[in-house]
Amino acid sequence: MAHALSRRSLLGATAAGTALAGFPALLRAQGTPRDLVVGGAAGMAGYMKEFVFPVIEKQTGMRIIFDGTRSLVNLEKLRADRASPRMSVVLMDDPIMQIARDEGLLAPLTTGATPNLAKIRPDAVHFEGAWVNYQTPWAGIAYNKELLPKGVDSYQALWAAGQKGRVILPSLQNTEGLWTLIVAAHLETGKPFAEAQYEVDAAFRKLATLKPNVLTVYTNQPQAENLLESGEAALMAGQFSSYTLIRAAGGAPVGLAAPKEGIFAMPSGICKVKGAPNEAMADAFIDAFLGSTIQRILAEKSFILPTNTETSLPDGFTRPAGTPFAPDWAHVNRNREAWIQRWNQLMG
Amino acid sequence: MRGAARLPSPGIGWLALPACAVAALLFALPLLLLLAVSLHGDGGWTLRGYARFLGAAYSWQVIGRTLALAFWTTLICLALGYPAAFALARTRGAVQSLLIAALLLPLSLSVIVKAFGWTVLLRGNGVVNRLLMASGLTDAPLRLLFTEAGLLIGITNIFLPFMILPIFTVVRQIDPRLGDAATTLGGGPWHNFVRVTLPLTLPGVVAGVTLVFSLSIAAYVIPNLLMGDRYQTLSTTIATAFLYLQDPQRGSVAGVVLLALSLAVVVGSAWLARRARATP
Repeated sequence: MAHALSRRSLLGATAAGTALAGFPALLRAQGTPRDLVVGGAAGMAGYMKEFVFPVIEKQTGMRIIFDGTRSLVNLEKLRADRASPRMSVVLMDDPIMQIARDEGLLAPLTTGATPNLAKIRPDAVHFEGAWVNYQTPWAGIAYNKELLPKGVDSYQALWAAGQKGRVILPSLQNTEGLWTLIVAAHLETGKPFAEAQYEVDAAFRKLATLKPNVLTVYTNQPQAENLLESGEAALMAGQFSSYTLIRAAGGAPVGLAAPKEGIFAMPSGICKVKGAPNEAMADAFIDAFLGSTIQRILAEKSFILPTNTETSLPDGFTRPAGTPFAPDWAHVNRNREAWIQRWNQLMG
Repeated sequence: MRGAARLPSPGIGWLALPACAVAALLFALPLLLLLAVSLHGDGGWTLRGYARFLGAAYSWQVIGRTLALAFWTTLICLALGYPAAFALARTRGAVQSLLIAALLLPLSLSVIVKAFGWTVLLRGNGVVNRLLMASGLTDAPLRLLFTEAGLLIGITNIFLPFMILPIFTVVRQIDPRLGDAATTLGGGPWHNFVRVTLPLTLPGVVAGVTLVFSLSIAAYVIPNLLMGDRYQTLSTTIATAFLYLQDPQRGSVAGVVLLALSLAVVVGSAWLARRARATP
């Protein structure tokens, strides 16, 4: 217990100190009833602030203060601020949501407070509303269109003899790194993703044969994307629509393939923080995120699949073949530490 | 001479108090906390964290890789920096100012920018490969990015000023007539260098080696950008433990091991240098 307390207090002090030093707007927000502090990934700040938040602010009259960082850092902030939370709503990946939920940091969502919850696909609502997937970016293989003008039809392309030193993998530390592990298990065992995800030994056996083709393993996605776009690499595993397709729409020579074996669901969740300030405003914000207006904007600007069943897709939106696969995150969370160490040893 | 022999005021030591307080707060205290976390497990104080880390063969690979990176970086920087410091010290006027500016200006750039710059230069169609092919040394682009050769090129470039500057500071203070005097006493160029010049420059060499070794053994950004996640060193192990594995004890143990290795090598090299100077 003493160990847990000292570790938590140390990490908590760090998170709180960062918030106090770097985000004075968060402090100001405490005294202004119309301000709502929302945590999320730093990478989404651009299109959220440009296309999404202004619409919600206009609809509700609130002012959104976005605190962009990594999901794990947001989790530490939630832990540190448990007694007096500053953030009211957080956008995080499912595996981190699962930890936050298990630690009692989340307040459940209800259809009474957030009516649009009733319109969300059932598989996108977790633990009776502990958190909800407000969107589903889909993940496949990103490729350089100039080097591979015919695209990619199978994950076997990662292992192809002609791709020696031209494949980039996401680290298993990154959420998208998990897809390569599941694909490797599927290719080694022939089992569908739902069963292959538990065949970890087979996955690592298959991954060992991928090493000659690997140019690098990244934790820093923008640098890796730069290598793909410049033609230094031909293929990048585990990439998702809300990143690659935004780059492609901006003119980068990249494409996102949905291989025949299947695609994956990037887990983008939204939750309400337990004991958070401005609860009614938090409910209004989440309801807007689950509403068809915002989901249509997200689909158009970041190429995600909406989870609100009543959302009409924008003109020209290309829906990938197949249903994105979502893994057993509880299983992932239980084993991830051991997998990361095994991955580091294998790839090193 | 007026005042030159005056003893310092008895209270002058207090002037160091603010610096000592800052050092204690920002360096000593965090290091003590690091040590405490490394020795604290679920059941209280324990060495289990060290047994777990040092008992794994993979940890020794990581330690070996970290030491090898620091060793080769320091050696290459010394081989390039030692003559460069002499060249810098022997120039005068505008040329010297220009060379010093060329050495110092890159220090004003973030290490992230410089490392990222190398990821562009080392690409298949980057400047390095183009120069190699244009000079006829290679027929096709070499793979340099995400190789240890590429890492050594980048890290040496980034840390080289930290080797040149301390040696330059010492070399410029050496009286050039000492070499002439040694020659008049019958010493050849090699003898003069080994017995006169090298011992006089050892303080600068030790300072340069200490700086470059300390920087390269703890380097995180440069290996991360030039080698990616496949190249695990003690620094990347610490980051992974704290940021991803949520295992502060493992991260703290790796931090203490890194600090101990760095201190041992730095103190050891300084001791060897002192011995070398004392040996007639």
